[in-house]
Amino acid sequence: MPNTQPLLEVNNLKVGFRTDRGDVTAIEDVSFQVKAGEILGIVGESGCGKSVTSRSIMRLLPEHNSFIDSSSEILFDGKNLAQADEKTLRSIRGNRIAMIFQEPMTALNPVFTIGWQLDEALKYHTSMNRMERRNHAIEMLRSVEIPNPEQRFFEYPHQLSGGMRQRVVISLALCCGPELLIADEPTTALDVTIQAQILRLMDDLRKKNDTAVVLITHDLGVIAQVCDRVIVMYAGQIVETSDVQSLFTRPQHPYTRALLESIPQPGPKYHQTRLPTIEGMVPSLFELPSGCRFQDRCACKEDQCVAEKPLLSNEVNFRKVRCFFPINES
Amino acid sequence: MITGFRRLLNTREARKLTRDKWAIVSSCVIGIYLLIALAVMCNVITQEDCAEVIGPNNKPGFFLSESPERRFEVARTSMLKPIIRALGRAEPAQALADVRLGQLSVANLPIEQLQARVNASLDIQHELEKSENLDVDLQMLPKLEEFEQQVADLVEPLTDWERFLQNASLLLGTDAQGRSIFFRAVYSVKVALQIGVVTALVSVLIGALLGGAAGYFGGWIDHLVVWLYTTFSSIPNLVLLVVIAFAFSDSESDAKDTLLPVYIAFCATFWIGTCRVIRGETMKLKELEYVQAARTAGFGSMRVLFRHVLPNTSHLMLINFSLLLIGAIKSEVILSFLGLGVKSQPSWGIMIRDAGNNGDVMTGFFWQIGTATVFMFFLVLAFNILSDALQDAFDPKHL
Repeated sequence: MPNTQPLLEVNNLKVGFRTDRGDVTAIEDVSFQVKAGEILGIVGESGCGKSVTSRSIMRLLPEHNSFIDSSSEILFDGKNLAQADEKTLRSIRGNRIAMIFQEPMTALNPVFTIGWQLDEALKYHTSMNRMERRNHAIEMLRSVEIPNPEQRFFEYPHQLSGGMRQRVVISLALCCGPELLIADEPTTALDVTIQAQILRLMDDLRKKNDTAVVLITHDLGVIAQVCDRVIVMYAGQIVETSDVQSLFTRPQHPYTRALLESIPQPGPKYHQTRLPTIEGMVPSLFELPSGCRFQDRCACKEDQCVAEKPLLSNEVNFRKVRCFFPINES
Repeated sequence: MITGFRRLLNTREARKLTRDKWAIVSSCVIGIYLLIALAVMCNVITQEDCAEVIGPNNKPGFFLSESPERRFEVARTSMLKPIIRALGRAEPAQALADVRLGQLSVANLPIEQLQARVNASLDIQHELEKSENLDVDLQMLPKLEEFEQQVADLVEPLTDWERFLQNASLLLGTDAQGRSIFFRAVYSVKVALQIGVVTALVSVLIGALLGGAAGYFGGWIDHLVVWLYTTFSSIPNLVLLVVIAFAFSDSESDAKDTLLPVYIAFCATFWIGTCRVIRGETMKLKELEYVQAARTAGFGSMRVLFRHVLPNTSHLMLINFSLLLIGAIKSEVILSFLGLGVKSQPSWGIMIRDAGNNGDVMTGFFWQIGTATVFMFFLVLAFNILSDALQDAFDPKHL
């Protein structure tokens, strides 16, 4: 299905928080697009604004201490979610955009059965009758490869293992057939075998239902495995966007390269050397450096990096980078 | 329904609860109290039974016998004397029919025969009166028994069932007005549990709703609720109750004789603790993934609050309910003791106050205060043990 119109288009997203020390901008100048059937990865270290981005798309940030700048646009299927009222949001949440959370242990309501929770979502968003809802729910559980779904339907979350719970969470998110799935670190709390299963599952579902996925993670391995395109974030900004293949083979931003270098690799080359790390820390949002935000930790820092703020470059071969001196390796 | 109940019994909490021996014992005790309250509600014992004079005043209970001096006094003044007085009237037959000796009535005999028996009794009475002190004069005891027998012959004999009922009602003795302590104590079970259950239920409901709304919505709702409960908790319970009781006593309505003022005063202050706890728990829960997930599923905030947040605080509600129930029962007794609580019905508090007022305790009549205290003691103890066991069972950190 050739669909050139992007499903989700985020333009100039700027989100801030009100704190005791004054307002602080958590993310700024974040723009990206997601097309139907595409998996977009957002990667970055803790506190770089990945989760804030995903939560602002869902408008889940607490209203009393956060704000989305009025110039920001979150266009989902033509509607601007950044300015939408609660009623519009309710009709879109769950029905057209679904979200998966990081912690499978607490992502399900402990006092109700799995069946009850699936049934509630279906009751709220569809006009199916009781039997249809139940059959559909069991079908959903089967599609996420839960063994014996007829029995699991009546069980409580605490009776399931972590991987099984995360699969239930996914089935809960997908049961109303959303067009966009936002997965906020869906595999972080799981061990690698379960992680592989979950990722394969998400890939299958994407192919089957043409669902767009925004996958947020700090695990480059996960990105390499399932994503089509990647956004690398640092200190609330996009520093590089690229397709997966070129990001891993030819990183352009020094931060991306440093990230890739700090992945341990087997082989004689790394046998007796120390694993490279990125020196220093992410700057506090209150004390951002005047020029490039990565300058203090960058290996190829120049005077221009201190004096001027770099902008995201124009798209070249579907790639953008926020650096004055991008690495160009052949 | 049955499978649901079986599943409930099979949960980890239920298993932990049933493993605790004392939890079972206290549940049984509470069950007995509830049955008593239910029986009273079905009019097995009515308020009239509690108000009726059924025997001599301050009769000792617990199968204790009275001193010979008092036995003589009771037989002479409260049995023989009214009959003699009636016989002396112009129309003795009519007067005799009207004589009521507690629950007893005068034997249905011809007047001459009755007169003869009275004379025989009087003879023994004169002999007994010669003794200085019957308590010391032990040779006179057979004579006293004969006298009591003679007096008993003057009244209509009881059937077995009536005798059983009389013994039951006199089991724990009578108070200063000759009313059955047993009936009054049993009736008070209903009063205490009624006040306890109603106030605990309403308080938990108010507390959960306000606390849940405050914790979940935050903002001005939170400010309002917090302001409300800090204000309410700054008013002393007793003062509030006096004010409410006064407000009701002024009106012409029947409300002042019901338990309504007590309900209002208790509910107005008891919800605060629950509200505070539920508010805190809600604030914690609303940041959890499953509540966020419910919001991302597009549910409205009311639905999220009532179906996803509040059901997860049900363990707190349960524990608070049992704690408030004990609190309400104890407060009811204290207030009734002070004359502010229950007015028109028997209550343990009133029984304890009566025992103190009449100086009964000082002269050795301990059964009234004793009965009220023992009844209350076991109820409160059982609830304390049960709420402790509940807390243990629902505490996830406790194995």
